[in-house]
Amino acid sequence: MLKQVMSQYNEAIMDTDRDRALQIVHVAVDLGISPEEIVFNVVVPAIELMMQSISENQGISLAQHFMAAQIASEVVDEMVPLFAKAPEIVGTVVIGTSQGDFHGLGKRIVSGCLKAMMVEVIDLGLNVAPERFIDEALARNAQVIAISSMMVHTATGENGCRRVRKLLKERDLEDRIRIAVGGAPYRFDPDLFKSVGADGWAENGVTAGRVITDLIREVRR
Amino acid sequence: MMTGMERLVAAIDGTPADRIPVFCNLLDQGAKELGLPLEEYYSSGEHVAEAQLKMRAKYGYDCLWSLFYVGKEAELLGCRKIIFAKDGPPNVGEMVIKKYDDIARLQVPDDITSHPAFAEELKCLRILKAEAGGKYPICAYLTASMTMPAILMGMEKWLQMLMMGPNDLRDELLTKCSDFFQKQVAAYRAAGADVLVYSNPFGSTDVIPRTFFNELSLPWMVRDLTPGGTSGIVYYCGSARFNNVIRSVIEHLGIGVFYLSPMDDIAEGKQLVAGRGLTCGVINDIMLLEWSKEEIRAEVKRMIAAGKQGGKFLFGTLVMPYNIPEENIRTMLEAAYEYGSFECP
Repeated sequence: MLKQVMSQYNEAIMDTDRDRALQIVHVAVDLGISPEEIVFNVVVPAIELMMQSISENQGISLAQHFMAAQIASEVVDEMVPLFAKAPEIVGTVVIGTSQGDFHGLGKRIVSGCLKAMMVEVIDLGLNVAPERFIDEALARNAQVIAISSMMVHTATGENGCRRVRKLLKERDLEDRIRIAVGGAPYRFDPDLFKSVGADGWAENGVTAGRVITDLIREVRR
Repeated sequence: MMTGMERLVAAIDGTPADRIPVFCNLLDQGAKELGLPLEEYYSSGEHVAEAQLKMRAKYGYDCLWSLFYVGKEAELLGCRKIIFAKDGPPNVGEMVIKKYDDIARLQVPDDITSHPAFAEELKCLRILKAEAGGKYPICAYLTASMTMPAILMGMEKWLQMLMMGPNDLRDELLTKCSDFFQKQVAAYRAAGADVLVYSNPFGSTDVIPRTFFNELSLPWMVRDLTPGGTSGIVYYCGSARFNNVIRSVIEHLGIGVFYLSPMDDIAEGKQLVAGRGLTCGVINDIMLLEWSKEEIRAEVKRMIAAGKQGGKFLFGTLVMPYNIPEENIRTMLEAAYEYGSFECP
């Protein structure tokens, strides 16, 4: 039965049909599938399947990324309180857009996917100062700072990732905190993340989940 | 020597020319050209016109822009706060639609040409027309109804409304944005713009699934374009790819100019247009910040080789990032003139 639920849920996600996806989940729970199975055997594999489809260039659209993350986030919010015991958190990330950047969509997609992967997400919002990224990461004991930039000058400017890297170095925090970046300029220049001092980058919000969890594991190793 | 307008017309008609047309979209660089901060530069239509004319003469490319920045359209619909950067395009600093109730209050100006937010652009257009009209195509930038809400309420909220409803409010907003587009395109045509770049990332299946493209994007594009027709209209999806919708766009909209994404395959795009229009190959201009002279020349050569055969091809850029070194702009353009020459095999 779980296989059937997975298949129906995946289909609803690809069709961007939120109501159908939620209905599939509710029916499955009523039929005895546990909330843990829903999250770890249905929702997370659906995100992983989407990552695979993206990497195989199967023409997945931004709207499908958005809806997959949105639905995942809603299902996780509903299921986690029903877990038999509190789930183990993989790690913590602080996320925001770089200073001067007011585009929040990428950040929202990343946050929804991370939540399903049991990563605690601290959303600092838009137009975040470099110092605030560091202060919040320290206050929340985050392993990763995730910086989203949709414009070339906010990705490459002195008040974005470059400054966050400089501050990490000055405060001797580079072993404790990694930086992930994402957004349009990085897609058009896949080496840009290195020149702005990030540890990793993701081509889209869905694959960002994998990049960020890998960075968290690197810090925790 | 041919003018930019003659080259463009020759490329559209498929008639002989000295070289392919080359469109280099320098906007914020105008401030640098005049030695002004961006905010001061964009406060005056005279500044923008002067810099556009200077930059075109300096580099020799084939177009002029009346566009200040994309947020101007939001100003026409009530936005009062634009945030200027030192080295990049301005951002909309205040969303016109903060909550769904604001959609009912959104007012499309009756006469765009008399709106104060249009005054400087109109001034710019008049100067460009007087100085270069008929010689160099004057480009205007217009956001499609389907994309305009992203500028008014933010991409995040718009995508949420588009995908999850409420559909009655979505359609009310799209109707207003489409009405606005129809008035705006008429205003630009009346003011003398020759090339009307119809910007619609939601016209790409990189952004929305094909079913949404067919059921929503296409009908709204038909509504946008029906009253004024498609003369001068250029299909452009931001930097999103759209080769796979070219056939539908030709069939349903009758648009004849396609400004591809740098990620689109130029040869494939040209094959899909199949002589029914002009294919524009667009360079990944972010890389001009990094590439060496040799890399720039090699990329321009590759692109032009993919599209030039048989004519009906234009070489272009996206909106060029502010910090691209002048030397790299020159290298790109010189290579485009050289490889785009019809004397060059």
